[in-house]
Amino acid sequence: MTESVSARYFDGQTSRLYHVTLSVDGDQAVLAGDIERRCPLVQLHVSERTSHAVRKVSFPDGAYLEIADQAAFNKLLHTSGHRDSLVVRLQQSWRATLLALLATVLALFLCYQYVLPLAAKGLAYALPPAVERQLGQGVLDMLDRHVFAPSALGQARQDGLRAQFARLATPDGSRLEHRIVFRKSKIGPNAFALPSGDIVLTDEMVALMPDDLAIMGVLAHELGHLQRRHLTRRIIQTSAVGAGAALLFGDVSTVVATLPPLLLDLKYSRDVEREADDYAIAMLRHNGIALEHLAQVFVALGKLDHGTPYLSSHPASAERVARIRAAQ
Amino acid sequence: MDIDNQPATIKREAITFSATGSEYFRIWIVNLLLSIVTLGIYSAWAKVRRNRYFYSSTHLAGSSFEYHGNAIAILKGRIAAVVLIAAYNIAFQVSPFLGFIMFVLMAAILPWLVWKSLQFKLYNTSYRGIRFGFGGSAKQAYLYFLLLPILNAFTLGLLTPFLHQRMKRFQHTESRFGSSHFGFDASVGSFYKTYLLFFAIFIAGLVALLVLGVGSVIASFATNASDPSKIGGLLLAIGAIYLWMFLVLPLFLTMIQNLIWNHTRLQQHQFASQLTWGRTTFIMLTNLLGIVITLGLFTPFAQVRWLKYRLEATALMAHGSLDEFVAATGQQVSATGEGVVDLLDFDLSM
Repeated sequence: MTESVSARYFDGQTSRLYHVTLSVDGDQAVLAGDIERRCPLVQLHVSERTSHAVRKVSFPDGAYLEIADQAAFNKLLHTSGHRDSLVVRLQQSWRATLLALLATVLALFLCYQYVLPLAAKGLAYALPPAVERQLGQGVLDMLDRHVFAPSALGQARQDGLRAQFARLATPDGSRLEHRIVFRKSKIGPNAFALPSGDIVLTDEMVALMPDDLAIMGVLAHELGHLQRRHLTRRIIQTSAVGAGAALLFGDVSTVVATLPPLLLDLKYSRDVEREADDYAIAMLRHNGIALEHLAQVFVALGKLDHGTPYLSSHPASAERVARIRAAQ
Repeated sequence: MDIDNQPATIKREAITFSATGSEYFRIWIVNLLLSIVTLGIYSAWAKVRRNRYFYSSTHLAGSSFEYHGNAIAILKGRIAAVVLIAAYNIAFQVSPFLGFIMFVLMAAILPWLVWKSLQFKLYNTSYRGIRFGFGGSAKQAYLYFLLLPILNAFTLGLLTPFLHQRMKRFQHTESRFGSSHFGFDASVGSFYKTYLLFFAIFIAGLVALLVLGVGSVIASFATNASDPSKIGGLLLAIGAIYLWMFLVLPLFLTMIQNLIWNHTRLQQHQFASQLTWGRTTFIMLTNLLGIVITLGLFTPFAQVRWLKYRLEATALMAHGSLDEFVAATGQQVSATGEGVVDLLDFDLSM
């Protein structure tokens, strides 16, 4: 028989409080005091160890004990051969907690850096084109209402550029359905692709380009975005990062929770621009067009480098020109 | 003769909360790591561990509460919730029509899920070995969580205090401790009074700020100050309005929580809640600052501080002995509702 520990007993049927003492006799727990009870140790469930919460011992019939004297109870548990679970030992050790903190940061970093882009890529390619089309539906209509005016370029000029691009072969032979549309914009030179398959080219962009082959370079870059499912991947990634941030900070404030996705999105968009550049390089090379035409696109854009929307989240123009020239 | 003795037998039993930020930080970080490494599967066990710690640290009249939620049941609920929410979001991306159908479907099942979640939450809470419980019917759940909110939307939100009172009355009268029902006697009028008082203070502060802020901005423009100071003045005015919004939100929380708990009782035992605006605001502001500065590491400390303050502001005016409650013959309830309510982040405590 071990030393006894004072405890409060509740029978699970009424809220009546019984003052008892708990001791261990062989493989039996023994209660004495306001109520007498014996129960085999194996049938009892002991709550996990913490420093500031009350320890509890539950009986199979819903009755339970509350024990405030942590030190005496721990001694009793020790002599009866009870051992804390791994998680409890981690939670109770500062050293393990600090290691867990480091491991958490590392796991978050690895997820963000490797797992998420890979998963988003797989998911984006697995998505049927019809679903992807739906993602961009309505974006062009919205832009037409607020940002764009009809293009001032002649129909012959538009068709000429479309035909010229249609004659170019893609590096891997596959070619997603796409449509080149021209618009006059209030936001200056710009070109972008929508998941709906629309490649939008502004009049200002056409005017800025030194020659038509540079325009082909721009279109090849945008086709690269489409071929590589960049927008879909980005939507998947930002929603995943958003969901993660909401889980981490959600109960604090929605403002705090939306900050990380915004900041983390920047890195992905840089990687994506490089990938589209690589696609354009491959496409021009495949059609025997000198890469210098593509380089000239970024030289021209770099000259008006005072934060046009096209460049805001993109790698610096000089860096991209250097990359393209190095590929020659 | 009983009546004469009554005042003498009332004893104020304050709730105490013994959890500490540093201990919860260790539980939280281990939970976080295991949840990430297991791709969220462990989050169900994490929830059980967190709740067990918090419930076992909450004391009333010398005894603590206990959480009995089963991790496997919670995990199933969460998986169902993820599937449901993903289907809902994808439907909207695919076509607005399909999205609309999913929206109607969600609206149709949510009240039922909220009701089930209330049952799960209370059934899995016990005090002195006796479980809480939640009755109510699906009909009531649809009335209070679907029909009245729709009606409220059509009346430009004028029914909000009425709706709030009805929801709390439903929650607090259908809750049980063992076989004893809770009671709720705050009137619709008292909810309207609280809402109106809050809006009066909110608008008065806003008007004062606008008069001060707009006045100073106009003054700075009139005196032909340099551009930076004009923008500075404007930013200051906008910042002051934001700060005011942040200061009055705790006011609303304190007024509503005090109103609700000061009108809730368990049989003859009355609850009392004494949150104050100043203290609530101070805790919320410093918590937010702490979390932002530490990139989230302060979160567990913040949660414990806020919980401790809210819980310890509440007391039970025990009218005689607390030994007389009897357990009800209850049955296990599913955790699907709990999972969805968790993920949609409804706070049903207010």
